[in-house]
Amino acid sequence: MSNNEDRFSQALKEILAGGFTRTIISVILGFLVGALFMIGSNPEFIESLGYFFSRPADALGAAWSVVNEGYGALFKGAIYNGDADTFVKAIKPMTETLRLGAPLILAGLGLGLTFRVGLFNIGGTGQLITGLIFAVFVATRMELPFFLHLPLAIIAAVVGATLLGALVGFLKARTGAHEVILTIMFNYIMLYFFTFLMRDPALLQEQAATGNPKADPAAETALLPLLLGDEFKLHWGIILAIVAVFVFWWLMERSTIGFRLRMVGYNPDAARAAGINVERTYVLAMGLSAAFVGLAAANQALGTQFGLTPSAHANIGFDAITVALLGGSNAPGILLAGLLFGAFKAGSPSMQVLGVSPEVLGIVQGAIVLFIAAPPLIRAMFRLPKPQTTNVLGEIRDRIFRKGGAK
Amino acid sequence: MNLKNASAAFALLGASALVLSGCAAAPEAEPTASSTATATESEAPAETVDFLACAVSDEGSWNDKSFNESVMDGLMLAESQLGVQIGDAESNSSEDFEPNLQAMVDANCDITFAVGFNLVDSVNAAAEANPDVHFVTIDGWSNGATNLKPVGYNMAESSFLAGYVSAAHSASKVVGTYGGIQIPAVTDFMDGFYYGAMSWGEENGVAVTVVGWDPVAMTGDFMGDFTPNSGVSKSIAAAQIEAGADVIFPVAGFQFGAVSEAIKEAGIDGAMVGVDKDIALTSPEYADIVLTSAEKRMTAAVYDIIADLVAGAEFTGDYYIGTLANGGTGLSPFYGFDAAIDDATKARLAELENGIIAGEIDPKAVNY
Repeated sequence: MSNNEDRFSQALKEILAGGFTRTIISVILGFLVGALFMIGSNPEFIESLGYFFSRPADALGAAWSVVNEGYGALFKGAIYNGDADTFVKAIKPMTETLRLGAPLILAGLGLGLTFRVGLFNIGGTGQLITGLIFAVFVATRMELPFFLHLPLAIIAAVVGATLLGALVGFLKARTGAHEVILTIMFNYIMLYFFTFLMRDPALLQEQAATGNPKADPAAETALLPLLLGDEFKLHWGIILAIVAVFVFWWLMERSTIGFRLRMVGYNPDAARAAGINVERTYVLAMGLSAAFVGLAAANQALGTQFGLTPSAHANIGFDAITVALLGGSNAPGILLAGLLFGAFKAGSPSMQVLGVSPEVLGIVQGAIVLFIAAPPLIRAMFRLPKPQTTNVLGEIRDRIFRKGGAK
Repeated sequence: MNLKNASAAFALLGASALVLSGCAAAPEAEPTASSTATATESEAPAETVDFLACAVSDEGSWNDKSFNESVMDGLMLAESQLGVQIGDAESNSSEDFEPNLQAMVDANCDITFAVGFNLVDSVNAAAEANPDVHFVTIDGWSNGATNLKPVGYNMAESSFLAGYVSAAHSASKVVGTYGGIQIPAVTDFMDGFYYGAMSWGEENGVAVTVVGWDPVAMTGDFMGDFTPNSGVSKSIAAAQIEAGADVIFPVAGFQFGAVSEAIKEAGIDGAMVGVDKDIALTSPEYADIVLTSAEKRMTAAVYDIIADLVAGAEFTGDYYIGTLANGGTGLSPFYGFDAAIDDATKARLAELENGIIAGEIDPKAVNY
């Protein structure tokens, strides 16, 4: 009996000390910081602060209503719009969250992979743009039937991004150049190269040649098909993302490649001593990472019927860093984190229409990752137990999931 | 002990989560109709009109002291003068255009301004998908939707006059211009400026050099972006001064801090020509070196379009082109430089302006 109680409290301690609890707390704290910012930037609240002590209700009421309206709009813009007159319009926000979350998940997986190997890939933007260049070329300059065109365009995006990623890994392995510097510099190079390509009709600029830096829209045969019909903009990109989540999980947790990658991440010296070629692993990790980012590029290039402009990367390469950090660089975590930040993107316009400044969500996003990155801070604030070395949870899980255990 | 604290912390968190989630039963919990009425927050004027004017920005914020800001000023003017409500959304990248426009449709905006050519595809699609919603595209065009009104500007007209007066004022007879990105909306200014300056040279038999833009070869100096007062901007300005230019026309949003620094560091008696807004008025700190400005009066156009609709006029998809003739574009006053420009030049400027209005003078050709 008492033994059981001990086990229960030990398991609870493990839960509280675990990353999941901290993540939830960080998300809530992030929203609190955003709320404070909204309140502090609200003119009515500031006005009513002037007579706070004579009538505090005004200030509190203003604070309450601005936070309530702001986050209410976020909910309506990203999850479910209860005011809509038709069902389609009511659930459209949710599909937008999925649509905008898909590239964040894909790129987040890519960056999370390098974090697991102890590399810090800041080059999501550059790799994404390389993928865009390849995909746009295939999608706008080739004529093929649908069953060939779309797969080829996706593969092109992946190949393009992988080439740049592997190049960074190669330069690091061969010359010892730091991957952070390399990837940041490649971001600039690729961004301006992309713009350059869009300036010349002989390269990627639209054939209509309006003089604006813009590509032709992707051929219809190369577009990711719509998933839920014409009423929604959601396309197969989200399916791509979900499949990628499973592939990532298998790759990292179950395959020998993943084992090697993780081993280098834990301790490169030990890995080397164990006979792993660490340099080759760096090239492999950067290449694989960029391959996932390349899928995000495919999503961006083939998910819209409009021609791309130089800003089509939409800062996904950087946002994906926060997605990977929030998601703890593991598959389910990145899926959830990508959806959360996708919801921010989908809900932002509705908040802005209400007069909430769009920077609020950026602050929430940054604050969340800040809290995630500082586990001791969260533990001190909420008196959470230190990380546990016991494995009661694991045992319980094992007992439940043990194969043929019932026999 | 530890556990107790932890659960207390969780209780607190749970409570705050409840407060935040907005599902608590407060009277304002469902901002149903009020979502269309942003302005109810601020002390709205006594006679408010039931009209919601909205705008979606190009990449960049509303306070860019240029393009986007001019449109927002028009909206805010309409808010204070006409008592309409306003709603807005800023775009950080092209990915934001569609969701932002959709948010305006969902908010039941009576009219939505899409600022900049970058939004042209998205706004055309939004207009086609929502045929009973009215849109305006600034610097864009309509692919056929009649509920989309394009607003454009013949900026070459006022820039021609700016180039003419710049060449007249220049001591070195070298004037410079550079752009943000080489797009028609930018080079339109630079074309006019070039031919204006060259026209003065032909007229007076003096060799004038324009650095930074060659309208025939279509090559020139461009920053590559529109970052306000960037280092690139300053170094281009400095290079043009090095090449002898003493009047500079930067067509790249707000570059007047960068140009003014370049002029002061070079120690020359130089000047610059403003774009989009009357820079001597909007940024008085630079007034002593602002010769004049080629104004793109979007504020007035936005206000007029809203005012007409509020007054009950029918929405039309007709083009609005800002010209010297309708006052959509024009030169700002010379202010401190007024005395430095002789009467003959002013008389000739008036003549050129009338010529352009009458269609006798092509601002994209050398005239003398």
